[in-house]
Amino acid sequence: MPMIPVRTMRWTDALVLVLGFIALDRVSYFHPLLGLNITPWDPAPALGLVFVLRFGWNSALLIALAIFLGDAWIRALPLTVSAALAVLLSAGYGVIGELLRRRLKSDDLFIGRHDLFEWFAIVVLGTFVISAAFIAALSALGLIPEAQWLAAFVRHWIGESVGILVTMPAIWLIYGERGRALIRLLATKIETVALLLATVVALWIAFSVGAESEFKYFYVLFLPIVWAAARQGFAGAILIATVVQIGIIALVNHLGFSAISVLEIQMLTVVLAMLGFFVGVVIDEQKRISLELRQTLRLAAAGEMAGALAHELNQPLTALSAFATACDKLLEQGDTGDRLKEAMRRIVAESERAGAVVRRLRDFFQTGTTRLESLQLEELLTASVEKFSGRAGRDGIQLTLAPVPACVLHGDRLQLEVVIRNLLSNAFDAVSKQPADGRRVRVSARTEGPGRVCVQVEDSGQGLSSAVAARLFEPYESTKSSGLGLGLVISKAIVEAHGGSLWAEVGEHGVFKFILLVEGDAAHDGH
Amino acid sequence: MTAIEHTVFIIDDDPSVRDALGLLLGVSGYRTMIFGDAESFRRAFSQDSGKACLLVDIRMPGMDGLALQKWLLQSGASLPVIVMTGHGNVDSAREAFRAHAIDFLEKPINQHRLLAAIEEAMARQSIIQQEHERNAVFTELSRTLTPREKEVMAMVVSGRHNREIAESLDISSRTVEVHKARVMQKLKVDSIAQLVRMSLGVSSDKEA
Repeated sequence: MPMIPVRTMRWTDALVLVLGFIALDRVSYFHPLLGLNITPWDPAPALGLVFVLRFGWNSALLIALAIFLGDAWIRALPLTVSAALAVLLSAGYGVIGELLRRRLKSDDLFIGRHDLFEWFAIVVLGTFVISAAFIAALSALGLIPEAQWLAAFVRHWIGESVGILVTMPAIWLIYGERGRALIRLLATKIETVALLLATVVALWIAFSVGAESEFKYFYVLFLPIVWAAARQGFAGAILIATVVQIGIIALVNHLGFSAISVLEIQMLTVVLAMLGFFVGVVIDEQKRISLELRQTLRLAAAGEMAGALAHELNQPLTALSAFATACDKLLEQGDTGDRLKEAMRRIVAESERAGAVVRRLRDFFQTGTTRLESLQLEELLTASVEKFSGRAGRDGIQLTLAPVPACVLHGDRLQLEVVIRNLLSNAFDAVSKQPADGRRVRVSARTEGPGRVCVQVEDSGQGLSSAVAARLFEPYESTKSSGLGLGLVISKAIVEAHGGSLWAEVGEHGVFKFILLVEGDAAHDGH
Repeated sequence: MTAIEHTVFIIDDDPSVRDALGLLLGVSGYRTMIFGDAESFRRAFSQDSGKACLLVDIRMPGMDGLALQKWLLQSGASLPVIVMTGHGNVDSAREAFRAHAIDFLEKPINQHRLLAAIEEAMARQSIIQQEHERNAVFTELSRTLTPREKEVMAMVVSGRHNREIAESLDISSRTVEVHKARVMQKLKVDSIAQLVRMSLGVSSDKEA
């Protein structure tokens, strides 16, 4: 697996790291144990890790500087102690950061659930080791009395891991260009405002109404984060998790909660954040897969279209070369009269016809859109059915087209022909297994409520079981590019692109139906 | 320049294609007759349309090219057929050739191949027609044979020796020689081999 190359750090980045680290250290310096940097919330390492991931392990040197300055300024520790702790902690963050960086696959902190779990495990286990070493070092220096080792370790570990888990994705997002674009996009949505309001309300419920009863209503905070994750994916979850974290810290400071309560709330916060991230990542994963699937379908549909268009292109090309050869012969014979002029005129016309076909193919590939025109349903069905009459005659299949109600569709003729061709081809395959006198395929259409028409292709074949009918439209059910397989998936995609729907009916014989929209006023039953 | 009476029937459901092919073949010296579908061709077609060939698209609404080819074969017409197709697949090519197509041309069509195929079709039809004419003459001449001469000829053609013929007809070898000479003189052939070939041609014609 190729690793994502590290970026070169500019001096502004270095300044942001050192000043940001010290600022976060200062902001989160509350409920310190024994005046040391052992607090229930420590987001500064999250910033450090983001820098290691982006700029490589060298950032650890700057982290060491920031820790040293922080300890000397905020906590007024002796310089030698500050230096030793700075080296220890920054080495730990450097190792965790490097571990995380090696599994980075793209600009995203993680893609999919597996990545999320890995990230979670590395952070939790890594901070466990760092906290153990940190507390051991402080004890060795005689700064922590024996009785408080365990309490100090738990507070430091929870403070570190929660700080990293909740804050790191947000900082990662802010520090990447794509992340910033995502945040800008979210900021323009009204739903984001609603989400933020909901979060504020949830915080109020949890801390003012629920505070008297041991945070009975803390679960209310789960609502906005799940909403955000479900609607806006990972980015939404990060946004709300950050707001909740900041809100909680501000509130516990304002309300003067005890250190133990703050630790408990932090445990809840990490569960809340992880749940939000998990839902967000799953949603993003699904969105990505459905996008990929649509892309694949478009390519497959384009392939079918290309086949149909190639056939259309063959006609003008044949005419072109025949006209041109005729011109050549006319000139050879010294005939420069009307016949030559007429042939030349036809050459121009045929070139234009070929050009129109090519343009259409290009449009399809570029945008996936269709070339809409007004179509008589009867004409469309008659033309499609007639193309199969030869095969019907050869295979002894009785192919009938019931009277079609007069209605005008708005659609792409070629694409809709591909749909009908696919369905007829499937029906022919289905009846070919029947005895010679029982091979019937019938095409019919009827108006279905206002503005809709339902086209039905029936065959006297075996029909479909409910199990088969349910799986029929799954693209990977078959690798065939025609027949029962991708053909149906493409047909369904085409019909849906036309605002309709296509389905198979379970029954004793084969029935496929699709509904198309009919142009406004023209929709009424046969004249 | 090809003689004027050579006709190419063109059937294609695309108006531009049939106009273009019509013009090209017209300029190349053929008489052309253009049809939009197989049915209208069938109505216009008669067996003795002189030296002609058929250029037909395989995929058409209604009766398609292959079905028309089969119909021609069944109705005993010796019209050579050249099949055109928009997207050639092996199956339809095999079917076309099994029904004695001269060539199977994929669109867009190579004009040199088209003209070559048409020339080949016309040449094949000339041979067929010459054979027909020769057979007609031969049949006419064989009417002048006596019953005994017919008997002798049948046995000669089936490869029997003079002595065998003499024995089974209970005549002398010398007499068989005389009958044979008379048969060859009446039918205007120079050798026994030619006699055999001519009579086989006639009998296979009758079978067909």
